Amino acid sequence: MTDFAKSEADLRATPPTSGDRSGWIVAARALFLLAILAIWQGAAAAGLVDPAFVSTPVGVAQSLWQLFKDGEILPNLGTTLIEIMIAFVLSVVFGIASAVFLDRNDWLNRIVSPFLTAFNSMPRIALGPLFILWFGIGIASKVVLAFSLGYFIMLLSTLGGLKNVDRDLLLMSRLFGASELRLFRHVRLPWALPSIFAGLKLTLIYCSAGAVIGEMIAAQSGLGLLVQTFSGRFDVAGVMALILIVAFMVMVLTSLMDMTERHLLRWSKGSTDVPG
Amino acid sequence: MSLNASAGEAAKIVRPVDISVRQLAVSFGQAHPALSGVDLNVREGEFVALIGASGCGKTTLLNVIAGLVPAAGGTLTIRNRPPAAGRSDICYLLARDALLPWRSVTGNVVYGLELSGVAREERERRAAAYVDKVGLKDYREFYPSKLSQGMRQRVSLARAFAVGRPIYLMDEPFSALDSQTKLLLHDQLLALWESSRATVVFVTHDIGEAITLADRVIVMAKKGTGVVEEINVDLPRPRSAEALQADARYHDLYRRTWTSLKASTQ
Repeated sequence: MTDFAKSEADLRATPPTSGDRSGWIVAARALFLLAILAIWQGAAAAGLVDPAFVSTPVGVAQSLWQLFKDGEILPNLGTTLIEIMIAFVLSVVFGIASAVFLDRNDWLNRIVSPFLTAFNSMPRIALGPLFILWFGIGIASKVVLAFSLGYFIMLLSTLGGLKNVDRDLLLMSRLFGASELRLFRHVRLPWALPSIFAGLKLTLIYCSAGAVIGEMIAAQSGLGLLVQTFSGRFDVAGVMALILIVAFMVMVLTSLMDMTERHLLRWSKGSTDVPG
Repeated sequence: MSLNASAGEAAKIVRPVDISVRQLAVSFGQAHPALSGVDLNVREGEFVALIGASGCGKTTLLNVIAGLVPAAGGTLTIRNRPPAAGRSDICYLLARDALLPWRSVTGNVVYGLELSGVAREERERRAAAYVDKVGLKDYREFYPSKLSQGMRQRVSLARAFAVGRPIYLMDEPFSALDSQTKLLLHDQLLALWESSRATVVFVTHDIGEAITLADRVIVMAKKGTGVVEEINVDLPRPRSAEALQADARYHDLYRRTWTSLKASTQ
């Protein structure tokens, strides 16, 4: 029996519990990361790639250390974090509120939906220079750019969730005498929750991209500004270190959301015995 | 044909009419009306089954009584009031269980009580009692996705009877179940109903189910022109769905209903 077939058979015999597999999965992940770093470092050492263009893991690690040692990074990191958080909160609040309003007022939804699609199809990054022109080189222009990306993602994913709510659940609740407010609290909102969470995670990623790219166009402070400065000096290791910092930040926030999601959506787990 | 109290009932105390339907007509905008000239009286505490071929308008009639579909003509009163959706004296059981997937078995029963404005402590107490009554005590904290179809429908029954309303409207609630599970659910419904003594209108296309449950089986015409025949089910109560399978009277009634149903389609 092949390993694959065997593991399939095991899966059927005893459903995997989170405990017995997570250990070796973490180990496999660490191995995977180490392999990539080793190949990268090895290729540079063997002269297969030019470290001046792709740097090396050790070079990136040194840059990271340097960035935190002089504390140069901290005010910039703060600026970027503030921009991301403001844009994220605004996107979530306005995105969900607009979705709820459009869901309850279908006539309005039918009027504005082509415009929403049009706005969402626009390459907002290309509007970056205009936002700088309109809102200055401070954090406002970055928040607007990030919000212009996040708002539509939040709006469209929430609206999608609200639109496909199970009609039987609504009918049953109405026949039991539920008010519109209760329908929203007990049926529509929980039904849309998986879509809202999917939207939250994408919104965070796009808000981060919006903020950093906005800073790269023109800024007084921020990680994007540093990226621009380091690129100008051909400091490849520095640029990569900064990108790692942003990625790490987004990952930490995403895993916080994942934990909340797993808790809130625990009812949806294990609805079938069939693996996969 | 008189659709009022039958010979068997005349001997009992005549109970007031809960649901009164007179010359009811329903139209969905086509040339041919969905229902026309329908007469029906359902007395307080009576269990009536509506049976008929697909498209005879039995579910439409139920939906008019529930206030979900407007009547185009005739009169219809439920406890002397016109129909309205979401009335606090009517409980409607849908064909599908319509359980909230994010609430446990108990949580779903509590939900019905919550919507009926029952106080918190009373909700918990009554929900626990009804979950127990439908035999799901060991599954109280399970989410619906973990339950079988029959168990889900039992939760739906518990939710409906926990709120204790005077009138129950049921639209083929057991049509998705296998015949074994169906018999089990029939007993459970009968037990819940007998302790509630509510008025029930039960729509089904299953003759056996209609006879097992009802005091009176109403056979509706295929063309939506109302009632073809009504059959009094004088089987003694309490009934057991399984024991009835071996009862000669049950099979006589089955044959009579079958003949009438067959005639209704011609």
